Amino acid sequence: MPQSTGVIVERFEKALDDLDQAASFVKSKYQTDVYQEANRLIEMENGLEHLFGHADRFEQAGVFQDGPWESADKLQPPLVAGSLRAKGLPMIIEVLSDLRMLAIAEGKATNPTVSKEMAEDFLNEVMVLNLDILFPDASESSRVEDNENSEKAQKLFEFLIQHLSSKALVKTLIEEIDRLTAQRPIMIKRIVSMIQTAKKMTDSESDPEDQAALQKYIAALEGPSPLSHKYKELSEYRANLKELERNDLISESVSLAKSMRTTGLVAPHHATLIRFLSKRMPGLLTYALALNSKGLANLEENEELVQQMIKASIFPATRQAIYGLALMLERGVLSHSPVPPGLRRLVELDIRPEVRKNLNKAVQTGEGLTANSILLAGTIQVLGQPLGVGQGFNPTCQAARGISLWAQHAPGFLLEIIPRAARDGDIDFMFEGQAIHSENLTGGLAPNLHTELDPVSLVLVPHLDRIYSEMMSRVALRGDDGHRWVNPAFYGNWVQKGFNSAFDPLTGYVMDYQGFVKLFYATHHPDFNDDYELIYPNPVGIFITNVHGKLLGLHAISITRIAQDPSGEYRVYFYNPNNDGSQNWGQSIEPSVQENGEEEGESSLPFHEFTSRLYAFHYNPYEQGDAYAVDSHIVQSIYELAKESWGRDYTWV
Amino acid sequence: MELDQMEVNSSVEQEVTSPETKPYLTALIGWSLQAIEVAARMERPFVVVGPPEFESYAEKHEIGFVGWDFNKLNEGSDQLYKKLKALGVEVAIPLYEECVEWAGALNARFRNEPRVFNRSLLLRDKGMMKRKAQIAGIKVGVFEEAHNKEDIVRFLRRVNDALLKIEGDVMDPIHVKPLDKAGSVGHMAIRTVDEIEEIDDNAFPLLMESHLDGQEFSVEAFIHKGKVQFLNITEYVRLGYSNFVPASPSLMEKRPQIVEAVQQLVDAFEIEYGVIHPEYFITPNGTLHFGEVAARVPGGHIFELIERAYGFSAYEAQILCSDPKTTQEELDEFFPSPYDYKGYAGCLMVHPQKDYVNDLEVPDELEQHGYFEKHDLFTPAQGKVAQRIGFGNHYGTIFFFGEESDEMRHLLKEYEEYDFYV
Repeated sequence: MPQSTGVIVERFEKALDDLDQAASFVKSKYQTDVYQEANRLIEMENGLEHLFGHADRFEQAGVFQDGPWESADKLQPPLVAGSLRAKGLPMIIEVLSDLRMLAIAEGKATNPTVSKEMAEDFLNEVMVLNLDILFPDASESSRVEDNENSEKAQKLFEFLIQHLSSKALVKTLIEEIDRLTAQRPIMIKRIVSMIQTAKKMTDSESDPEDQAALQKYIAALEGPSPLSHKYKELSEYRANLKELERNDLISESVSLAKSMRTTGLVAPHHATLIRFLSKRMPGLLTYALALNSKGLANLEENEELVQQMIKASIFPATRQAIYGLALMLERGVLSHSPVPPGLRRLVELDIRPEVRKNLNKAVQTGEGLTANSILLAGTIQVLGQPLGVGQGFNPTCQAARGISLWAQHAPGFLLEIIPRAARDGDIDFMFEGQAIHSENLTGGLAPNLHTELDPVSLVLVPHLDRIYSEMMSRVALRGDDGHRWVNPAFYGNWVQKGFNSAFDPLTGYVMDYQGFVKLFYATHHPDFNDDYELIYPNPVGIFITNVHGKLLGLHAISITRIAQDPSGEYRVYFYNPNNDGSQNWGQSIEPSVQENGEEEGESSLPFHEFTSRLYAFHYNPYEQGDAYAVDSHIVQSIYELAKESWGRDYTWV
Repeated sequence: MELDQMEVNSSVEQEVTSPETKPYLTALIGWSLQAIEVAARMERPFVVVGPPEFESYAEKHEIGFVGWDFNKLNEGSDQLYKKLKALGVEVAIPLYEECVEWAGALNARFRNEPRVFNRSLLLRDKGMMKRKAQIAGIKVGVFEEAHNKEDIVRFLRRVNDALLKIEGDVMDPIHVKPLDKAGSVGHMAIRTVDEIEEIDDNAFPLLMESHLDGQEFSVEAFIHKGKVQFLNITEYVRLGYSNFVPASPSLMEKRPQIVEAVQQLVDAFEIEYGVIHPEYFITPNGTLHFGEVAARVPGGHIFELIERAYGFSAYEAQILCSDPKTTQEELDEFFPSPYDYKGYAGCLMVHPQKDYVNDLEVPDELEQHGYFEKHDLFTPAQGKVAQRIGFGNHYGTIFFFGEESDEMRHLLKEYEEYDFYV
């Protein structure tokens, strides 16, 4: 017979009283019993309610004293999930700490350093950051990660959500959705789950403005036009399309396309419509894709191929490829002669069984799609949204950067290596006169690839990752940053041969940082570089720092362009393959993804802020401007930003 | 350590402080939150002498503190006495094994009785301790000090020769342990010559002794003015894993004999104040063999068990008995009758039985057992299990309390086999 909650509650109260009465220096002796009984309550029905009933006393009693959770104002929302996933004590104390925050947020407790609003903001941010725990996705069950505690975490979050003002949370969620959709990622799973969460949390009492904002996203997923809204069932929708007059079809097309263009999200009905139009009225496709004149010209030029591709790859399950198709046409990629045959080849490609299996896993089961359809749809997406390629949960930023770069500037090459990998299970690169075959290599940065990736990445990353690693290990002992040689060989001749790095990779010493900064200005800043424009993306290395400016590691991104933002300030626009281009890097350096002149998928920072996080870049040695002319106060301010953030982990000489 | 500075300060203060400081301070030698808590509760002025790493904690919580490295013995050691004297300390109470001679040295100075220090040294050398006991006519096993591996080989052979073992017989084990470590730290049972090779050369000198059969138990005796004021018997279910307080009736029957033996020990060692924690073996025919004795807070949560069973704080008892100024009336009022216990209090110290642990599983039937009180096991951070040192670094403890010693023994035995870690 299980012990009754009452007994445990009593024991918890006794332990808390004992702790409360204990002298300050001996709290740790009594904390153990509180944690033990709390742990039992966490696992019980209504246990969190009982714990929360005492949450206003936790701090005063000394529950957190002398431990990492002691100061409520120093707690970090991004660390909450990690603690909850950890087993044992961290989980228990984290739960108690979050309940303390809730008590402050509800005005039941006061804290000298954390106001009601701050506590509320903290919890809202925790919620938004942990949607995956709050709404776990069944398809993720295959994850290797042991998530035994996620049930407890989920229970906690559900409890918090009942108590939090859903208004604030919905607002935060919508901001988050705005921010993520602005980047137009190919993989939209996270966005979808956020929209669904927000939908569950809104009710008639929600802010009408939020409701309207959210409605836009919900409709984009579920049916943005009157007809698609009316006929949720795709077969009914399809039957009804057949009854429509041309004009009605146009307005239906326009409204679906408008939703897609504003959100980057595609409704399943859209796929039905496109397939229908492609067969019956291909002339209306331009409305359904909302093409500009260049896109329309490209469509007309390649009408047969486009129809063929729609037939082979546009299905409700691959509906996001419609957005990719529209952008691909507008980018004019099909006018590039190797592209049409390259795409046609994918339709009948003999895909290897293991690749086929991975591709099939990428879409939900029961859709009846072939691996070829999935791969073709994925290729269209990559060609249409080169900046939407993400590395997912893998440390493979280099591979993602490569796919993105080739999709922009070498689609023929990309269409060459996709079949090599999918059909032959091998990709070969020449490096300094020697061929490197991926099939001969093991290891890489991600030997166990996390498969939540777009189809093209799914096929290519395992190969590219190993090749890149192999190239890096071949140059490891040369006494200089290996990217100097590897980047041009790996990404292609678009990468400039000049290379400069902020620190010596052997000693870790930062040497002549001022010179490094000036050279970057002289080769990249339009005021100093004699107006040479950046033509191809520049693969550069940056120091990733957290919100406190503490170094987290090195990361690969690409500078896409350097231009003045609407306010006239020079910014560096860049592609960040990490799926979330606007993290806070500390020192109030926060890349933006919209409203500063960014194109879809770009992040940006003011030029000097970006420079302060840069550690290596390529440049054209024949296109240098006037390094000496760079203002010393600019250099000095960058030097200070660098030295007080990542610079603390390096020796400066 | 700013010794020079301290010297200047203390010499100045010494002149100011009168020799009969009142109220005087008690120095707790070692770091124990339980002891600090009790001293604070007793409203007794005290200062803690502990390893310097606790200084910031003490400062944060306003605990009077003197940082001291107990491993460093040199001519500067005198500074500790000077400093404490200047603060007005008159009593030093040892909490750990390594602090016993420091407290002894301090008390020798405070009381102006040099021999107090020598007595404390006796308690810190297991070879001297045995010899002293033997001289006093206390029954001990055969023992010798070993300075190298050959000594151990010879001792093993001689003991087994004496037992009339011949070539091919299974040898009787001997035990070796460091002369000055707490409890079971560094203890090894040796059965074959090969095992001797595994001993580290740095471990010498060691004490060797013959194996004693019989039931092992410990006694916690609170001594004041050379007289046993209270005596608890702790029954070991398995040394280092489980024990309970008070002992079961079969052992309690022998209590008069045990009390007599302990008083004999106290007399022989000329122990005047404080707590001692001797270990004995008792053979089925009732013969008592003395194992060893320590003069500090015992391990195995025994003080906590005494408090649970008898209702008085053993830390408080230790402080009272360590102070020559405590009166007999105070002590009589403080200690209950040894037969006046509320029940049996036992504990099981848990250590994973595997090298790598993933998770903790405490069975429901344990938590629901009427004797179960609490435990302090938490799911560990996944990982490799550290090797046990002595019996100190257990992962956690399960506490029981109940009316029947048989059930207690049964429970402790049952769950000692259980692996709480998966």
